[in-house]
Amino acid sequence: MIIPVRCFSCGKVTGDLWERYLRMIEDEGMQEGDAMDRLGLKRYCCRRMVMTHVDLIEKLLKYTPDGRNEKKIEIQQRKDGPQA
Amino acid sequence: MAPITKPSEAELERRKIVGINKETVTDVTSTDFPGHYPGEDNSWDINTFANGFHVLFHQNEQFEASFSLVGIDASLANAFRRILISEIPTLAIETVYIENNTSVIQDEVLAHRLGLIPFKGGKEGLLDFLKWYRKPGPGEDPYSTTFDFNTVSLDLNVECTRNPAADPETESDPAKLYHHANVYAKDIVFTPAGRQSQYFEGENAIAPVNPDILIAKLRPGQEIRLSMHMHKGVGSDHAKFSPVATASYRLMPVITITKPILGQDAEKFARCFPQGVIAVETVTREDAARDSAYEGHVGEKKAVVKDPMRDTVSRECLRHKEFEGKVKLGRRRDHFIFAIESTGQWDSDELFLESVKTLKLKCKRLEKQVVNMVR
Repeated sequence: MIIPVRCFSCGKVTGDLWERYLRMIEDEGMQEGDAMDRLGLKRYCCRRMVMTHVDLIEKLLKYTPDGRNEKKIEIQQRKDGPQA
Repeated sequence: MAPITKPSEAELERRKIVGINKETVTDVTSTDFPGHYPGEDNSWDINTFANGFHVLFHQNEQFEASFSLVGIDASLANAFRRILISEIPTLAIETVYIENNTSVIQDEVLAHRLGLIPFKGGKEGLLDFLKWYRKPGPGEDPYSTTFDFNTVSLDLNVECTRNPAADPETESDPAKLYHHANVYAKDIVFTPAGRQSQYFEGENAIAPVNPDILIAKLRPGQEIRLSMHMHKGVGSDHAKFSPVATASYRLMPVITITKPILGQDAEKFARCFPQGVIAVETVTREDAARDSAYEGHVGEKKAVVKDPMRDTVSRECLRHKEFEGKVKLGRRRDHFIFAIESTGQWDSDELFLESVKTLKLKCKRLEKQVVNMVR
C-alpha cells in the first residue's frame, strides 16, 4: 500500500527511497536497475522491496473526508434549493 | 603411550580447506579437537590461538564495515554474528498513544511503521544514561516504571491543509497543492524530559537516522496526532531493535590451479569468475625454468589467481571439460569475511566490539554457574 519502512528480509531502510526512485525513473529517465544501484540497494531482497512496490495508497487518498463533506453540502443545498 | 606426533605444515593447511567439487562439498566440519587424530595433541591452547588469530579490515565506514577474522572456529564466529543481530540493545519506539488518526493508514499499521524507524542520538546518553525499561505488572500504575532514564518521549502532530498559493486547476503535485501531504520521519518532534536535556542536546538530540522516511500520506482534512514512548530492547524481542541491517560472514574462497591453463583457455577461465579474481599474464622464462609444465610455452598467456576474496564460488569453471583436473576450488574453514551494515544507531566497528563484550559477559556468567555447580 505504502512503501515499507524496512526491507522484509534484511532490515535495511527502504522508506526514504521510493520518492527518489520515482524521481530517477520519471524525471531523469533512468533504467530501474541503475536507479536501484544508485540508491544503494545491492542485495536482491532490498531491490525487490522497491522494484515490486505498487503505491496503492494513492488510490485510497481519493476518498477524503474533505471531498465527502463538499459533496454533502452540495447535495444538501440542492435539496434545500427548491424549498427556499 | 604413543609418542605425540606433529603433522606437517602442508597437512595442517590441507585440513583447513573445505573442498568444493562439481556437485559435492567435502570436509565440512573442523577436525582440530583432541582425539580426532590418534597420536596428536590437539588440545586448545591460548598461545596457539593468539599466535594464529588475526583481524584484517577491508572496509570501515560509519555504517558499513567489512573485515576478516582469521584463525577462529565457526562456533565463535557464528556466536558473534548472532549476537550482532539479536542481542545488542538499541532504542526504538515501543508504545504509540494515538489521539487522532484520520489518515488512510490504520492505527496498528501506523504504529508498526513508526516502530521500524531507526533513531540516532548522543552515544553517552544512549549507552550509559538510558537503562532498561520494566513493564509494570498487572494492577500496577501503568506509568509507575516510566522515568527519564528509561523512556524517551516523542510527538507527531500533523494536519493536512490546502495550500492557498497553489492553483488546483494547473497544479497536480499533492506536495505543492497541500501542506503536509506527506508525513516524513523528520516531522517527529523529540521533547527531552528531566535529565535527558543534558545528554540529548543540540546535535546529540534523538532524531531519525533517515529523515526522509515516508510514514503516511494525507489529504486535506486528515490529521495524525500521537505521542510515542521509546524504550531499549533487543533484536530477539523484535527486529526493530536489531542494530544491523545485515551481519553476515562467508568463508574465504581458495582457488588452486594445479596444471597450467594456457592460451585461449586462460581467457575463458577468467570469464568463469567475477571480474578481478583471475588475471591473465604471459608465461615468462622464470616460470618455465621453475615449473616444467610451462616449458616450451614462454610468451603464451596463462591464468593466475589474483584476488580469490572477490570470488562468489559459483563453480562455473568446474562445468567446462577443458579445465577438468586443472583447478581445485575450496574455502578456508577458519577465515571468516564479515560484513556488518548498521542501521544507524551504532557505528559498524563499534558493533563488533560490543558483540565481543557481550559474548565475554555471557561466558563469565556461565563460568560462575559452573563453579557453583561443582561446589
